[in-house]
Amino acid sequence: MALRAARRLAFCSRQGRRLLPSPAPAPAPAPAPCNRKAVPAAAFLHSHATSFGYKQVREEEKSKLVGNVFSSVASSYDLMNDLMSVGLHRLWKDRLVSKLNPFPGMKHLDVAGGTGDVAFRVLERIKSVGHRAMQGTLTDTEEDTHIYVCDINPNMLNVGKKRAAERGYSGEHCLSWIQGDAEALSFEDGSMDGYTIAFGIRNVTHIEKALAEAYRVLKRGGRFLCLELSHVDVPVFKEIYDVYSFSVVPTMGELVAGDRQSYQYLVESIRRFPNQEKFAQMIQEAGFQRVEYENLVGGVVAIHSGLKL
Amino acid sequence: MRRTASMLFSHAGAGHRGIPQALADVLVCPLSKKPLRYCEASGCLVSEAVGVSFPIEDGIPCLVPKDGKLLEDNSEKSEQEPIPRDSSG
Repeated sequence: MALRAARRLAFCSRQGRRLLPSPAPAPAPAPAPCNRKAVPAAAFLHSHATSFGYKQVREEEKSKLVGNVFSSVASSYDLMNDLMSVGLHRLWKDRLVSKLNPFPGMKHLDVAGGTGDVAFRVLERIKSVGHRAMQGTLTDTEEDTHIYVCDINPNMLNVGKKRAAERGYSGEHCLSWIQGDAEALSFEDGSMDGYTIAFGIRNVTHIEKALAEAYRVLKRGGRFLCLELSHVDVPVFKEIYDVYSFSVVPTMGELVAGDRQSYQYLVESIRRFPNQEKFAQMIQEAGFQRVEYENLVGGVVAIHSGLKL
Repeated sequence: MRRTASMLFSHAGAGHRGIPQALADVLVCPLSKKPLRYCEASGCLVSEAVGVSFPIEDGIPCLVPKDGKLLEDNSEKSEQEPIPRDSSG
């Protein structure tokens, strides 16, 4: 089957699971495109400056700017994801959910998952697990299942709700949509069995606050999983990936979504995000244990995971 | 914030909730992490602890801290425009 072949391809350059090693050196500064002016060093030292792609902006501005990006691209979001990742984002999300290992009755929170991509996968997997175990009988446990989708952007949530209706999930009582901030979650302490964030943590203003909130809402034994575009460290592939990121992706964004700037932001923000080792360290600093990560396609994306014990 | 002449007060223990029970059970105020109360009069979720109300739009509770509105006093304020009701579920 083509899908199977694609799946093999997607994981062909995957590196083995790696336990968190000793603290990594700080990531090298991302290569700035030649037509951009270097950001003055003082901007990096200013405590209230944060990054918006390669631009330094004030903290309060970042969330607004990110909001604009996602409002602007919400309608063509799925199409662009398919084009940019050549459809691979579907396999990456499958992989994320398979690592989560959802079970009937679980309470799961998917943050920054407005379009429902991850939530639908979790739900489908729980249904298949539940039915396999119970031979088709709906159990009380399965009815306890609840998936909370939290996104800061109402446009993305509306896309997700619409897709839920199209998939016949609108009658499902186990799916809830909440507009909320990853840095200030509106869920009770210790209320979730699982927490996922796919392609979202890169866009929050304070990563450590989002990690602290993830830790807070999880139950003991709960699992944190993060799928994020990461850093490629394979020599020749890295050069190809750079050309693709800085030339192809913004042009594609302009042609398909009619928005070059949002996709310019996307590729720049990927380079500004901490590398795999540094991010793993941050997860550990938030209190998570057994932190590990898996690189997919040579580090184009990485799945980080941790447990609240 | 708009005030109407007749102030409606929420009735304690009102049966109807603007959001499904499973959701109400886990939601807390994003600022204080204290419980939220559904106010029927305004169709909002109210955080008594910090005196902030959060809207529910098209059945989606909006609990982004910066979108919360400060309550002017402890009493509830009703609004003239119709409140969108829960359309999900």
